Amino acid sequence: MGALSVLERMRGLREDRGAPAGVRAPQAATDDADGPFALSVRNLRTVYELGHATVQAVREVSFDLRPTERLGVVGESGSGKSALALSILGLIEPPGRVGGGEVLLNGRNIVGLSERQLSSIRGREIALILQDPMSALDPVKTIGAQLHEAIAVHNPQLRRSALRRRAAELLREVDIPQAERRLDDYPHQYSGGMRQRVAIAMAIANNPSVLIADEPTTALDVTTQAQVLGLLDRLVDEHRAAVILITHNLGIVSEFCDSVSVMYAGRLVESSSCEHIFLGATHPYSEALLRCVPNPERLAEGPLPAIPGFPPDLSALPGGCTFAPRCSVGRELAVCHEQTPVPELVEGPSGSAIVECHFARERAARGSR
Amino acid sequence: MTGVIARRLLGSLGAIFGASIIAFVIMRVLPGNPARLILGPLAPPSTVHSLYRQLGLDRPIYVQYWRYITQFFQGQWGYSYSDGAPVRTLIGERLPATIELALFAFLITMLASIVLALLVTYRRRPIADRIVRAIAYIGFGTPPFFVSLILLIVFFSTLKILPGPEGRLGAQVTPPATVTHLYTIDALIAGEPGKFLEAVEHLVLPGVALGMANFAFLVRLLRANLLEVSREPFITVVRGKGLRRWTAFRRHALPNASLPTLTAGGLVLGEFLAGSVLVEKVFNWPGVGSLVYEAILKQDFSIVQTFILLSAVMFVLVNLGVDLLYAVIDPRVRVRSVVTA
Repeated sequence: MGALSVLERMRGLREDRGAPAGVRAPQAATDDADGPFALSVRNLRTVYELGHATVQAVREVSFDLRPTERLGVVGESGSGKSALALSILGLIEPPGRVGGGEVLLNGRNIVGLSERQLSSIRGREIALILQDPMSALDPVKTIGAQLHEAIAVHNPQLRRSALRRRAAELLREVDIPQAERRLDDYPHQYSGGMRQRVAIAMAIANNPSVLIADEPTTALDVTTQAQVLGLLDRLVDEHRAAVILITHNLGIVSEFCDSVSVMYAGRLVESSSCEHIFLGATHPYSEALLRCVPNPERLAEGPLPAIPGFPPDLSALPGGCTFAPRCSVGRELAVCHEQTPVPELVEGPSGSAIVECHFARERAARGSR
Repeated sequence: MTGVIARRLLGSLGAIFGASIIAFVIMRVLPGNPARLILGPLAPPSTVHSLYRQLGLDRPIYVQYWRYITQFFQGQWGYSYSDGAPVRTLIGERLPATIELALFAFLITMLASIVLALLVTYRRRPIADRIVRAIAYIGFGTPPFFVSLILLIVFFSTLKILPGPEGRLGAQVTPPATVTHLYTIDALIAGEPGKFLEAVEHLVLPGVALGMANFAFLVRLLRANLLEVSREPFITVVRGKGLRRWTAFRRHALPNASLPTLTAGGLVLGEFLAGSVLVEKVFNWPGVGSLVYEAILKQDFSIVQTFILLSAVMFVLVNLGVDLLYAVIDPRVRVRSVVTA
């Protein structure tokens, strides 16, 4: 799909699904935490203790997700996106661990639940789709067996014939031709796109209210990407699931999501509706990310810009704003290197946003472009 | 599928051919006249010459080889010249003991390595991991005969909880009624639990001594494979579906990790069947290994020669079985073979 017409698409952004979730200040949201939200994450912290160093992969992240809302989480590799996804599901493996915070799933905190309790939630209330369709399926089990497993683990009363019927239904639902027959095939007999469809089928098998998709289309070619994303779009609507879509592709976010959070060095540095980000990102990092999207209108400006420097080492974070060393605004400013910016609710021309930047207010007021 | 079998069979035949050449050449490159060796220094030259012709040693080398190989597969393995008995009878008497020891050693080695590898990878405790690695290093670096002696000193001489080097059964115990020639199984068939325990007790120390080095090898292999597989995205996906960690491990990580271990297991079993000469000697185990040990001392080369080729055949057969098993377990092998066949 590419991101060629990001802005065009944004102008006619889907109004049909109701207003985008917009933005809520994290402090205010605690009051109605078990109110309308499908998922509320509060000050979630994930660390990897590697002996010689402690890597802070997710640093006090908070956000809310309404039922059927679609949130895009974007950021560079190593910004903590996948760690965030796994932390929400309670799937962080040692030496990593969730060091604090709350994950309220349909109003209930699931941080610190036992493996038994968590496993009864995973797949039923909250499901996961992973990036790589090559390695997301067990190579020595049939597609049918893996679908059976997804259904049976939460429906132990179902008999084999019922499981098989339901599995075939799921395959048909994700547009796999000759579903009945293909249940007995192995993953290597499926194409990449079909495998990703199977992964989606497994995720929606139990009608979860929240779906976390970690780069679901990254490993696919562009046409397959479009098909898979279209399928996901349709199914999420039909099953009325809320989605967290983790990606580094802003084109996909513009097409699929209602709201977007930009992740940098383990923090959500800007959270807003899609319009706000695409029409006038406030944080200098969001702005820089958008500049890196190819756009034919800017061909004359020469080669695509890149963000200078590298993401910071998460085991030795600098003081102040973590983006300051690479920032076009704050690179030279003492305040950016010395003081950590606090999340601020700002109003821009196209909606409100929560931004962590010392200059959020000024930048939002004038719009960044 | 038939393509795979045909190709594997062909490969196996090649390996057996190679081993037969080695066994054959060993006999031919030995200094001196085999006929003289057999008859001794006092025999008159005419007798030596007639035996020389009787053995076919005056024929061209390829005729000799052909005769040797066809006779081997017909079960005519010649006569032991220290004993006079047919080699086939001698080896036939000893083979069950070796097979029983090999199977027992294989069983405990596999079980121990699977359990320990699971323990260290599932629990991810660095201390357990270090202990298992230390055991593995010791097992790797210590020759089996030395392990045998240590085990005897500890468990027989000092602790007195296991029998010493007295073979398959205690001196007062008669073997159970013969069905399979494996005492443990025969004792079970005959319904004699006492004899079964006796046989197992006698198997423990030689089994451990034989298995030690390969246990080290297998546990490291399986541990590495398990670690690798448990980091695969599909394990995360499976847990995301709602399977508990242990169930995900058992149902998905273990089968995938055991594929390479299967191959290694075949090699190990083949080695146990073929190469327990010194361990058998230390424990007075009446198997093929100790027969060969004695044969080497007596320069009884028809036994040695047969043993070399026979162990090659067993080794190759076991690994052929593993290859076929592989094709049954791993769907990717199966399909690839259908495509290429």
